[in-house]
Amino acid sequence: MINSVEKIYSVIDSSKFIYKIIYENNKNIFVPHNEANRHYQEILEWVAEGNTITDNGGGE
Amino acid sequence: MALSTIPFSGLGADASNQGVNFRNLIINGDMSIAQRGTSQTGVNTSAYGQWCDRWHYNGNSGTYTISQSTDVPTGQGFSKSLKMDCTTANASMGASEFAMMRTLLEAQNLQHLKYGTSNAESLTLSFWVKSNKTGTYCVWLYQDDDGRSISQSYTINSASTWEKKTVTFASDTTGVIDNDNDRGLRVNFYLGAGSNFTSGTLGTSWQSDVAGDRAVGQVNLADSTSNEWYITGVQLEVGTSASDFEFLPYDVNLQRCQRYFEILSIKQASQENEIMNMISFNASQIYGTYQFRTEKRNDPSLVVDNGTNYFRYYRQGGNENFSSIGLDNSSLHQASLYGTGLSLTSGEGGFVRWVNNASTNDKVAFDSEL
Repeated sequence: MINSVEKIYSVIDSSKFIYKIIYENNKNIFVPHNEANRHYQEILEWVAEGNTITDNGGGE
Repeated sequence: MALSTIPFSGLGADASNQGVNFRNLIINGDMSIAQRGTSQTGVNTSAYGQWCDRWHYNGNSGTYTISQSTDVPTGQGFSKSLKMDCTTANASMGASEFAMMRTLLEAQNLQHLKYGTSNAESLTLSFWVKSNKTGTYCVWLYQDDDGRSISQSYTINSASTWEKKTVTFASDTTGVIDNDNDRGLRVNFYLGAGSNFTSGTLGTSWQSDVAGDRAVGQVNLADSTSNEWYITGVQLEVGTSASDFEFLPYDVNLQRCQRYFEILSIKQASQENEIMNMISFNASQIYGTYQFRTEKRNDPSLVVDNGTNYFRYYRQGGNENFSSIGLDNSSLHQASLYGTGLSLTSGEGGFVRWVNNASTNDKVAFDSEL
């Protein structure tokens, strides 16, 4: 089960980002923004359930 | 793939069903590859886990230890099987509860089935199975692009005895499997099914999926913690008869699995070991790129076991511990990774190792499973 999802911007190119999923067992998975990725699909389902992705903006 | 067809000398008319020609649509059907690990306890939610590659537990009934086992049918050439061991029972399944072991097939590898045309092919599934829980089990094929499905049942006749089972699925002249890298076909071995999945008539012809037709008559493997279920030698092939299992060399089997899951580095027991080269990008971050051994199905996720001072960056005759590796970018052939929380001088080159704060078998890996 997903505990939280954070949007993380690239330091090299701040227009790009990936997502960091933290599961309830504290497992971390870093997920590209790609609809064919099963973890990205998991994020979409989690958001559809009413959850919100943490977005602290670009930059370090 | 370097191998295409290895002819089998002295063949008769049955030539197309002999030798290695990748006729098995199932990857890792002999359960020989287990990159994530060989046993995982407490499995009660859907996951790819520490058992045989490409096999996905899906369900919400019972808790299991799932493992790669050396219990195999005698004299058949197999050395590994997949084992489901029920550790928490669920004797009275709710209507929506179920459990299954499944493998998902990539759509572009299924185009020769010619689904959606008058030339569509039948499929035959063969496998070796063993369980103390005798009775009826169901296999449900689900075609994602059109939401169509078909089921067949098999019977485990003798308790705790390896038996070979063969079931044939009719061709589907209606549903079209898209030619892409997404889910084409799910091969689902039911191990328990609540009434939502058993209330109809077993759907032995392709149809728009009806939940109640999926697993009619299915026994409940989770009705006792004494229950176990083993499977190996899973082969799905075109036609109406089963041929001998197609054994692939270990390295070929591994490479096929790595399209979906590839390990960059595993923490070895009681030693530091290498992860990758990195260079300091700024005062606190290091970056490096990794070229995959095998092209991925899609842009993969990074699966990493991060923890306090799990990693050590060696540079300029010294070193510094850090706690987190992340993904900057990934594509089909490579990924950029970074480490954070260091005190650096930009431009310094170095390399990263696991240190002994991490646990044996912790991993940095890439996942593009279906």
